Amino acid sequence: MKAGTIGVALAAVLGPTLAEGAPAPVKGAPAAPPPLPRLGVAEEDTIVRMQRDLERALKKPVDQRRWVMVIDLRMCTGCTACLNACRAENVLPPGVVYRVVLEEEQGAYPNVRRFFLPRPCMQCEKPACTQVCPVSATYKRPDGIVAIDYEKCIGCRYCVTACPYGARSFDFGEYFTTNVAGQNQPQPYETRPSFEYGQARGRKPLQSPIGNARKCTFCLHRLNQGMLPACITTCIGRASFFGDANDPASLVAELLGQAGLWRLKEEAGTGPQVYYLR
Amino acid sequence: MRRIFYLVIGLLTAGGLGLLIQRLTWGLAVTRLTSAVPWGLWIAIYIYFVGLSAGSFLLSTLIYVFGLKQLERVGRLSLLAAIVSLFGAMLFVLIDLGHPERALQMIFSWHVTSVMAWEFLFYIAYIFLMVAELWYLMRDDLYRASQTEGGIRGTLARVLTFGYRQPADAAAAAATDQKAHSIVKVLGILGLPLAIGVHGGTGAIFGVVAARPYWNSGLFPILFIVSALASGAALITFLFALLGRRDGEYLSILQRLAGLMILFISLDALLLSAEFLVHLYRGMESHSAQYQLLFGRYALLFWGGEVGFGMVLPTLIVAFRRNSAAWLGGAGLSMLLGIVAVRFNIVVPAYWEPMLKGLDRAVTDPRFSFLYTPGVLEAGLTIGMIAMMVLAFALAVEALPFYELAPGQSKAGVKSGIKVTAGL
Repeated sequence: MKAGTIGVALAAVLGPTLAEGAPAPVKGAPAAPPPLPRLGVAEEDTIVRMQRDLERALKKPVDQRRWVMVIDLRMCTGCTACLNACRAENVLPPGVVYRVVLEEEQGAYPNVRRFFLPRPCMQCEKPACTQVCPVSATYKRPDGIVAIDYEKCIGCRYCVTACPYGARSFDFGEYFTTNVAGQNQPQPYETRPSFEYGQARGRKPLQSPIGNARKCTFCLHRLNQGMLPACITTCIGRASFFGDANDPASLVAELLGQAGLWRLKEEAGTGPQVYYLR
Repeated sequence: MRRIFYLVIGLLTAGGLGLLIQRLTWGLAVTRLTSAVPWGLWIAIYIYFVGLSAGSFLLSTLIYVFGLKQLERVGRLSLLAAIVSLFGAMLFVLIDLGHPERALQMIFSWHVTSVMAWEFLFYIAYIFLMVAELWYLMRDDLYRASQTEGGIRGTLARVLTFGYRQPADAAAAAATDQKAHSIVKVLGILGLPLAIGVHGGTGAIFGVVAARPYWNSGLFPILFIVSALASGAALITFLFALLGRRDGEYLSILQRLAGLMILFISLDALLLSAEFLVHLYRGMESHSAQYQLLFGRYALLFWGGEVGFGMVLPTLIVAFRRNSAAWLGGAGLSMLLGIVAVRFNIVVPAYWEPMLKGLDRAVTDPRFSFLYTPGVLEAGLTIGMIAMMVLAFALAVEALPFYELAPGQSKAGVKSGIKVTAGL
């Protein structure tokens, strides 16, 4: 695996000092100043590192993996490449979004700053969505990913209501490209099969995943093929990190030891497996 | 009058069935629901009917369990209303599913931690119990009808007796009658926790959702029960005003029912104000559901529908027009309309507050809108399906022996409403 030149350059900017003995994350502690960029071409692209982490993790039994995402908000430019890569990867119709980028403006001109927060599914330790499902169609996999059995799901949308992160959506069976310029049939790229959960599903009226609740799966189908999630590989700022937290040598395991680590709605008691660094 | 009633209800039902085909063809794309407001009008009507059912049933237990003899004449009517309402509730939850054809997964893939899964079991047990109770109350009349009546009514009665025969000699007949009464009492007692579970549990579906602060209160299931009692009393007041035999008891029964209704409304108002006052003094923020109800987007529905039609108007009518059966029936109707607003205001405002700051602005896609107003098809299908329930109820009242309602030789006093010709 070779690092692209762009990746190397970006890694040079990024290169968080993953110093040994970094202070343990303290909830509510003031965010540490960003570490000084470590310059030098010897640094490899984080994607290359995560790819090696992934290959190591896949050699382990599934129940010994613990997939975790870490998002460094200092690096996020709000470009929404992750969101669009996700839409393309999972062939998402209107109303279904797995990963959004929340935007917030802080301060007043001239002291103003735009703040971006990408929000995938948190793949919670104690998911609020799975416990309310009346038909056990959504469940937590041994590797921590919260999955949906599309054939079981009755589409009651209780999980959509119960998720404290708004991370679930409902597939209404619509298309972006119908009723556009006199066109009644959707463009083929909207009806091509999606490979979620490793099942190739086209979009046929009233058939799953239409009429189902849908959510981010950390691109489980890609992971199983040895590929990183689409949002990770497309992040131009290298702000999103992914890997197996059970592997102490992995990049995410290192990042989990950084100062300034926090989780969304910690007080909800859901134990999100997506961490933010800021 | 009767013809016009059946014509209107029949047309509405036919229209509703047409829209139902649309719904089944196009899925939930026909609704204006979004991923941000995933539950809307149909879920509101579902809890409306569950409430009517639980309320009517609990009213019937006042008669058969607690021996409130004065109201005995509305006993069967309450039970029938409870049964039809629960079927209505199931119908609305069914059309709201993304995959209605998989509804039975609720049994085959039952999930112990889901309140909704438990509710489904409750509904099934509850329907069986109510049907059994009504049958035991009716079997003697059914038997008589099977002997004396011809036509559809006679045939139906013969089928529905399920081979039951009333003993010819008086002593044995009295004994079976006694037995039926004790069975009804047992079923009524078992039905009490069941009916409370049915509607309190429906409240718990919402109450347990920690992510929605508006719902997430221990008071919520109790509020559901109390408003169910109020709506049940309102339904029976309205129905009895419309269908009851105009005799000496007619007005006094209505007054009793209306009195019960006001009692339940008062309790409901107490719980509601308790909920809201706590929020007000906590310093409610403008993006909370409660703020939107009191002063914002849902204020008209709250003050006009929930408080005006649902509380103030019925109370004033019962206080000042208590000697007019038509007014009392109107009080019931006003309350029935008000409760629709109550149910809508339970479901939809909870989605007002975005789960995360900025989530409402993150996606520009109508299916992610945080503003929900029911669409024309949603509303039309709702009216059509309600018409179907009314039709089913009217036909049941006509075809089954509801002699206690029959006009018989009573004085003509049928100024408003339909005259049910059950005895003819």
